[in-house]
Amino acid sequence: MEAPPVTVMPVTGGTINMMEYLLQGSVLDLALESLLHRLRGLCDNMEPETFTDHELVYLLKGQQGNPFILRARRALSHPNAPWHLRYLGQPEVGDKNRYALVRNCVDVAASHSLPEFLNEMGFRMDHEFVTSGHIFRKGAMKVVVCNVSRVQLPGNTENTERMSNSHLVELSVLAPAGQDTVSEDMRSFAEQLKPLIHLEKIDPSKQRH
Amino acid sequence: MSGGPAVRISIESSCEKQVQEVGLDGLETYVPPLSMSQNLAKLAQRIDFSQGSDSEENGVDSEPRDGEWGKQEPEEEEDTVKFQPSLWPWDSVRNNLRSSLTEMCVLYDVLSVVKEKKYMALDPVSQDPTAGKTPQVFQLMSKKKSLATAAQLLLKGAEKLSKSVAENQENRRQRDFNTELLRLRSQWKLRKVGDKILGDLSYRSAGSLFPHHGTFEVIKNTDIDLDKKIPEDYCPLDVQIPSDLEGSAYIKVSIQKQSPDIGDLGTVNLFRRPQKNKPGTPWHIKLEAAQNVLLCKEIFAQLSREAVQIKSQIPHIVVKNQIISQPFPGLQLSISLCHCTGDKKINRSSPEKPKPDDHLYVLEHNLHQMIREFHKQQLSSVVMPHPASAPFGHKRLRLAGPMAYDKAEISSLQQSEGLLEKIIKQAKHIFLRSRTARTIDCLASRIEDPQIQAHWSNINDVYESSVKVLITSHGYEQICKSIQLQLNIGVEQIRVVHRDGRAITLSHQEQELQDFLLSQVPRLRL
Repeated sequence: MEAPPVTVMPVTGGTINMMEYLLQGSVLDLALESLLHRLRGLCDNMEPETFTDHELVYLLKGQQGNPFILRARRALSHPNAPWHLRYLGQPEVGDKNRYALVRNCVDVAASHSLPEFLNEMGFRMDHEFVTSGHIFRKGAMKVVVCNVSRVQLPGNTENTERMSNSHLVELSVLAPAGQDTVSEDMRSFAEQLKPLIHLEKIDPSKQRH
Repeated sequence: MSGGPAVRISIESSCEKQVQEVGLDGLETYVPPLSMSQNLAKLAQRIDFSQGSDSEENGVDSEPRDGEWGKQEPEEEEDTVKFQPSLWPWDSVRNNLRSSLTEMCVLYDVLSVVKEKKYMALDPVSQDPTAGKTPQVFQLMSKKKSLATAAQLLLKGAEKLSKSVAENQENRRQRDFNTELLRLRSQWKLRKVGDKILGDLSYRSAGSLFPHHGTFEVIKNTDIDLDKKIPEDYCPLDVQIPSDLEGSAYIKVSIQKQSPDIGDLGTVNLFRRPQKNKPGTPWHIKLEAAQNVLLCKEIFAQLSREAVQIKSQIPHIVVKNQIISQPFPGLQLSISLCHCTGDKKINRSSPEKPKPDDHLYVLEHNLHQMIREFHKQQLSSVVMPHPASAPFGHKRLRLAGPMAYDKAEISSLQQSEGLLEKIIKQAKHIFLRSRTARTIDCLASRIEDPQIQAHWSNINDVYESSVKVLITSHGYEQICKSIQLQLNIGVEQIRVVHRDGRAITLSHQEQELQDFLLSQVPRLRL
């Protein structure tokens, strides 16, 4: 049975078109403590929130060159929480001066039968990994500091192996399309983290080798 | 024998030489006799230099002085003879002569010093005066004087120290810019942008979603005249707050009889506590006042947004800085934001005399409390996403999709009441409670025969209070059972529970309660 036709156009109609503004950076494990302290001071005054998530990346290979990617993520630390399915579009090329990476984003909460559903739809799992770390929030901005671990046996999230001794830091905001003040706020926040970590926009398409 | 020939007698010394050795052939070897010089040396060694030529006469005197020395001499001689036989025989003689020369030189020097008095003079050593010779008064005086000198020195030093400490404190009181900045930083959030120091006085980090930036600037106060005396409340640090947050504000909540003319609304200048904003107010007062103004603005903005959006039976009126709603027919609840900027031009004083204060402080306080509750909820960990890539939002709402909640379930999950509804309910309850109290008191003072007593419970809720009404007949308490009614005053209704458990619900009408109580009175009458 041939794969159903798939377009890579974002979902339109019905919902607001949400864009994700993203800045990324990394920090070595040695400097992690000081970064967490700084974030604790800069961000909203809440108890630090830790998380452990398991993410599976599904691909749907259509007739066109680029496969369609969906990311399914579940919380290992909160087993009753619903799965989260995410589609991320191509980064918007526009203003070169814009500090943050902007891409279309569709977020859907799903029940625990999501992997089977995706398999039935024709998606195949490409890779999976486990991340764990801390979440901070400042207004609408979310800062996630996490370390990425490789899953050795598919489906087995107990034995994982750290991929590197550094942590990935992501600063992201979900906002409707057209709000450019968001990237300015992100820039000023990133300035405050400056000597500890440099957050910048990293184009994922340029990372492919 | 008389004449015989004379016999020559020759005497010669024996002069026998000592025999050194006898050879094997019988030849004797004699010790060679001492030569003239050797003999002299031997004799010279025996001279006792300690004894003078007229030592026989002064022997007694010289004995005790030189006795020891003399005794040592022969010992030394013997020693030198015993232990150093190979020493030059004139050695001891030479040493003795040398030491006697030294002695003679010293004596000569002393005598010449005594005689000449040119380079050195003999000075007698001062003798201590024998004790008891100096009077005690003199000792006391000398001690007193020396103590006084020491005390003066110490006092001078102490004075210098205290002066420097006072100067230091004066400087500290003068409060230089950096210490003030440190104090400011310990209480408010500051950041440096370029060469300006900006601060944040909004509630955004505490969970508020109000879009005001709330940025203030810290400036150095340099308009000080160093020639004139520095004023008491001079502070080298000053803050510049945003212009729309100047002055002070409060939210006035009051319940009045419904005003007949609707055109009157919005023109009332309700400011009651004018605050003079002197240019010299310290920064903490300015900042606190500005933050209060911001919070009042946020409360009013939230209330007016809800007043417009939420559909209720009797629509709320929002006019300029006032929100008017009707909790009960004939009654009007007005919530207004009173902001006085301290500018004389804007402050129109109302021509009529000030109305009696009907400001309900409790409700104003409750409004502040509720908005802070709302802020705290924004920061609760319930909104944090699990998994981490999910957007922010209440946990239950994220479950709504997968669990297929329907509209009723979703609305039950969400907070149903906004700020305005809550405050209206509280106002209704307060009004109902005060009116019930007034009714009961009125009846109790009017009716003398059975006595009506009301015991109000101390522990109340914002939406519910209770009172126990007792109707007794004086003197007949034992005979007939008193009537006990428990009234639970809610938001819009009063629930009456009899002693036997029967419950009746009364509406908010004042007349209804009065009629009911009056109906209970004859039950007691004999």
